[in-house]
Formats: sequence, structure tokens, C-alpha cells
Amino acid sequence: MKDVRPWTYAALFGTLWGAIEATLGTAVHLGKLPLRGTIMGLVGLLCLVCLRRLQPRAGVCLLAGVVAIFLKVFTLGGLYPGPIIGIGVQALAMEIALTGTGGRAIGAAIGGFFALATNPLQKLVTMRVVTGSEAVRSYLRLLQESTAAVGLEGLSPTVIVAAIATTTGAVGAAGGLWAWWVAGRVVRRLGKRV
Amino acid sequence: MNRLAGFLLAASVGVVLFGPPVYAGWAALIAIVAAWILDPPALRAGLRFGAVLAIVFAASITAAVVAWAAGPLRGIELGGMVLLRLLVLTVATAVLVRSINAETLLRTTRKIGMERLGLVLGLALNSLPRLVEAAADVWTASRIRSDDAVARLRRLPGVGEVLLAHTARIAEEAAAAASLRGHSALTRSGNVLRTPVRVVVVTGPSSSGKTEAVTAVADRLQGADLQVVGFVQPGEFVEGEKVGFRLRDLATGQEAPLASLSERDDGDFGTRFQFSEGGFQLGREALSRTAPKSVVIVDELGPIELRGQGHMPAVRKALAVADLGGAMIVVRRSLVPSLLAELDASDAVVIDVESEGGRSVDVIIDALGARTLVG
Repeated sequence: MKDVRPWTYAALFGTLWGAIEATLGTAVHLGKLPLRGTIMGLVGLLCLVCLRRLQPRAGVCLLAGVVAIFLKVFTLGGLYPGPIIGIGVQALAMEIALTGTGGRAIGAAIGGFFALATNPLQKLVTMRVVTGSEAVRSYLRLLQESTAAVGLEGLSPTVIVAAIATTTGAVGAAGGLWAWWVAGRVVRRLGKRV
Repeated sequence: MNRLAGFLLAASVGVVLFGPPVYAGWAALIAIVAAWILDPPALRAGLRFGAVLAIVFAASITAAVVAWAAGPLRGIELGGMVLLRLLVLTVATAVLVRSINAETLLRTTRKIGMERLGLVLGLALNSLPRLVEAAADVWTASRIRSDDAVARLRRLPGVGEVLLAHTARIAEEAAAAASLRGHSALTRSGNVLRTPVRVVVVTGPSSSGKTEAVTAVADRLQGADLQVVGFVQPGEFVEGEKVGFRLRDLATGQEAPLASLSERDDGDFGTRFQFSEGGFQLGREALSRTAPKSVVIVDELGPIELRGQGHMPAVRKALAVADLGGAMIVVRRSLVPSLLAELDASDAVVIDVESEGGRSVDVIIDALGARTLVG
């Protein structure tokens, strides 16, 4: 990179993402608020897509993810693996999707899908590390009972997790397109060519 | 002692996270004692009341779910385990945070051949306060404009948009500053301002008299029959608050409005101001009169110009004219590194009008090398 801007942009947008994760993210995660992963995922998408539209260079999303993880680590319970894995996976998904599609809107949608679809899996992995396999089994049973309560009996935990992943992935795809639109407005606001 | 405590802390975290549950309580206790030996203030900061409360709450939720699925005893056991794990992670983080700063990061990453990453992470740490400040400003502005919570919520996407634009602006400034520091890992930008003449950079805080000093210098030079080209941008104030700028052509005295404070969050170039093309046009005309022996005065260059926009194309053209009499550029203090990073001049002198006080005009004239001409 001859121009220093991709580095500083990645640093600053990663800082913004990390700061939001460290404040709002910590609050919603420790408060166990519903849809916390999705909300924080959308914030991440916004930062990443905007960064990529302002600095269309391969690698910037990944670097921003590293910066966000770095800042997230230095907060209350920062070494708690869930959000760290989440940020890493999200940055990787957006990087691959946006680089693979040549930085197009469709890339934001695909990246958004995979970034948020991995949320339930990441949640299970984190739960396994922090609370052990019994908590995972309890959680899966809770899911089965909940789906049975709404009339969807006999579904296996795998099917339920896959359904949740697909739903959050669809929200992520829509979120990716929304982030693309917002990023376009930011680019215009800064007087740059879209 | 510290080394042993550090080792015990790391080992205890490992045992609590991955070891048999029967040792978790002891390991957590060892972790807390080790953290107390290493850095007592860090331990106190990490185990604030709010933090402990949040950890207890998170553990309780797990305990409740497991108790429902596997019985109360198992719920309490696993809830306790989660409590210990979150506790040691918090304590370890608190100790880690206080031992990290931009310099240590750079040293560490340089050792492993990843200097660029160190610079980026250092920049992230250093820019965090500024970003937080920008976020607070944006939020305050939004709160002032919206009375009720619903309206504020509706404005949230707009607030995010402004914050992202601010972030980009800070990234631009950081890019130029990083170039100036000459870190070998992060190279210069390609947007270089070339001039064969010495450039006098006039700076100072807002409302410190930069424009007045520059205008006085221009008057003295014109009084000595020197050709002065360029412009000044005096601010417009209402009840002490800056609400806009005008641009005045130094050769003709002609004025045009350049920028006015935006009522809504829709300023141009990520600023609070809306710019007028008429002002930029007059700036271009003023600079187009640059000829050999003339002194170019630009008051002032801002972040927009340092991104290569606004007045910058005209300034670049004017400064490239051969055999100039001199050049003087006004920038705010925070942008001096960015400007110097962009400048490829024979040399540059920076004059701070606040430090120079009443001598500013004479010091600037001396720096321009025009003392013998103006007396």
C-alpha cells in the first residue's frame, strides 16, 4: 500500500466498532438482552461496509476487525470469547464477500448473511467454552421446548439452530444492503465520488 | 515477584477456563491475589460494583436455565462456574489493560516484524479519546435538536451517518500525521504539494488573530509595491459563535460567502458547514493571478483541502509557479503535521501567532524574507 489512508481508515473504523462493542456491546451482552448478537452485528456491518466503500482496498475489513478485537479485549470481561469470535468471523465474512465480488452491493448482502448466520453457532461454541457442555444441552433443550410450545413439535436441535441461523442470516443480508446505502450517504456527505 | 505473579495469573485463568471444576475456586482466588500483587489499582478498577453486579447477573441467567433443564443443584454448580470464569477474565483484562500503551505496542510488534500492525493499533489507542469526543458532540447536537425520545430514535441513523463521516475525517488527518512522523512502515500519501519557494505556515488556536496577522502582512507587502495574490477567510460570528466564513480576494478586495453553519446534520465534506461554490470560484480567481515574484497568501487550508478538495487544486497550481516571491499558508494547529506531510517545499517555517503575540506580523515578514523590501 503506497497510500497510508487504508491503514488509518481501518484503524479509525476499527476503533469506532471496538468502542461501540466495548460500551454498548458489553452492556447488552452482560445484560443478556434479546437479539444482542444481531444488534451488535448490524453495527459491525455498518462500520465495515462504510470503511470498504471509503477505502476500496482488500484487507481493510480484516484489519478493522483486528483493531476492534484489540479494543474489545481491553474492556470489562474483554477476554470473554463470544464477542471476540463474533467480531473476527464478521470481519472475515465481509472481507471475503466484498473482495470476492469486487466491492459491490451484492458482496455486502452476502457478507452480511454469513456474518450474522454464524451468530448462533458462535453462541454455542462460546457457551461450550464458558459454561460447559451441560449448559449447551440445556440451551438446546430450551430451544426444543420453546418451538414445541408454538406448535413445532419433533424438530431436532440441529434443524432449529439451522433455522435460526438462516433467519439471522437473512436479517444480516438486509442489514448489509442497508449498510451499503448508509455508506453511500456518508461517501456523498464527504464529497467523494461514489 | 511480578514475574511469578504474572505466571500465576495466566495459569489460573487457564485452570478456571479449561481445568477441572473442582480446582476452579482455588484458581480464581490465586488469580485475584496475583492481580493484587501485580497491580492493586487495576484490580480495584476491574472489580467495580457495577462490573461485579453484571457478572452475577449473567451467571444467574445461566444458573436459571440449567436449573430448569437439569435440576437446581446442577444450576447452582454451573452458575458458580460461570461466575468464576467471568471474574478471572475480568481481573486478567484489568491487569492487561494498564500495561499496554501505544509505545509498548509498537516495540512489541516491531520485535516480531509487524510494525505496521503496531502503528495501526497504537493509532487506535491514541484516537479513541478523540473519537469518543466526536461521538459525544454528535449525540449532544442530536439531543439539542430533538426534545422527545421518539424523535431522537428516529434521528439515530442520521447520527450514525454523521459519526461515520467524522471518523473518516479523523482518519484523513491521522494519515497525514502518520506520514509526517516518517514511520518507515506507513509511507507518504501521493497527494504532494510541490513548490520551489520557502513556505511560511501560520498557525494558532481558533480566534487567536491568524487572519488579522495575515491581513496586516498583506497590507505591508502591498504597501511596498509587492504583488500579493490569494485570499483570507474571515469568520462570521453571531453572539460569539462562528456561523460562517467569507472569502476575500487580497488583490481586489472582492468578497463572497464561502460557508455557513448548517441548521441540520447535512454539512458538506463531513463538516458542520454548507459551502458555496461562489466562494470557491472567487478563491480560484484570486489564485489564478499568481505570477513570478508574487507572494501567495492562503488563509486557510482545512481538512477538505488536505483531502485534495476545496481550494487545493488552485493552491497546488499557484505554488507551482516558478520564481515566486514567497508563500504563506494558514492552518489550524492540529493540521500543521498534515500540511507539512503534504508539502514538498524547499523548506518551511511554522509561526504560531499565539506564541509570537504582537510580534507576529514582523516575524512573518522576516520569515518570508521580505524585511528589506517592507522596511
